[in-house]
Amino acid sequence: MYRLLLFTIFFISSLSSESGILDIKWPKPNTQHQKPSTPYPSVLTKGINNTKLPVYIPNTYAYDKKMIVVADKNFYTISFLLKEATFMVAGDKTFQESIPTSNSEFQKMMKPSPLTFTQEEGIMSTDFNRHGVNYTLSVECEDPKIDKRCKEEKFLRNLYNRLIMVGGRA
Amino acid sequence: MKLFVALIIMMLFTSCITKKDTPIETEQTWKGKGFTYYASGQLKPSRSGVGRYGDNYIYAPNIRFPLAYAPAYINSQVYGIGGQFGPKGSLCDQRNYQYPWKDNYCEKRGHTMPLCRGGKGHQGVDIRAKDCRNSKHYAVAVEEGVITYIGSYSVKLRGKSGRTYRYLHLNSRSLKVYRGQRVWRGQKIGLVSNNMGRTKTSIHLHFDIKQTVRVGGRSKQVYVPPYSSLIQAYKRLLKGRP
Repeated sequence: MYRLLLFTIFFISSLSSESGILDIKWPKPNTQHQKPSTPYPSVLTKGINNTKLPVYIPNTYAYDKKMIVVADKNFYTISFLLKEATFMVAGDKTFQESIPTSNSEFQKMMKPSPLTFTQEEGIMSTDFNRHGVNYTLSVECEDPKIDKRCKEEKFLRNLYNRLIMVGGRA
Repeated sequence: MKLFVALIIMMLFTSCITKKDTPIETEQTWKGKGFTYYASGQLKPSRSGVGRYGDNYIYAPNIRFPLAYAPAYINSQVYGIGGQFGPKGSLCDQRNYQYPWKDNYCEKRGHTMPLCRGGKGHQGVDIRAKDCRNSKHYAVAVEEGVITYIGSYSVKLRGKSGRTYRYLHLNSRSLKVYRGQRVWRGQKIGLVSNNMGRTKTSIHLHFDIKQTVRVGGRSKQVYVPPYSSLIQAYKRLLKGRP
């Protein structure tokens, strides 16, 4: 009982529900922002017009006019309807929990680690941080048990390697 | 004062040397409506994994319960009756539709989960609706926000708080929302079903919460424990103030 009480007191005291906006380290001009030879579709440019974080999508789908953009100044989610699957890329610059560095559990969690792809609930996904912003890539399949895009990391890793910055304003 | 400090040190010392690996059974009751629940992180059966026992922190305060009405039951789909590793029987067995609630965040899975012991586990909780009927019970928005994503069997709601709530296994034909739609707290999203694309699962709602934590100058998006937040939300629902 002591342990439960002490752990709970320690844990709660080391968390804070302070929320806010993350600091963005914007990439230097012309290094990340790859200017397109032809303009991106308006669904993309209009959709992320007010988005104040670097917007990345894979170059493979940058001209897909059927992409679905849901964005605001602090986040974006862009999904692509593929054959029997949905691919999603999202970025978010808000945080909901600020944890003191004295919390060893969370401090350990923050240590840099290799990019990992994981299949959860049949959905292959990865999370990563770039410029101080948190991004997610995921692919969800109609048939997650047999579709290799959702069983193996190759498909998503390939898209990760093809990410280009297509917009976002400081 | 010295006596008090010595007492605290003794308590810490005894807590360190005491080898009690099995958590105390702490089924908790709640006045009214017969609602009972096991403590957060107390997974049942114990072989189903190691939860975040003692972590009662409410990561998503004041959310609405994700099902439209009570009763609802949080318990394991995998280790419950009729589950893959559970006692033989029907998934619709009445014993799966009873209190007490049992946390299943961090239940054994292959998913990478930084907040689970060993780095792997279930990233949310499974919730059964009032009964086993397919596509009869509505899941609703837990917070005002926007629907950011709809896949084959998942719907994502980004709340005003910046948290992302994920609803899995809703009947995709029943969805009452579209991508980009602004929704209010309690607005219908879709019906609880066994949809997992062409692969069917048991009839339940998988619900998880993803939020960003900042530690020093770094930040990370993680699936946080939803159980305590849901207990709080469910009590409000039972009181008629969802």
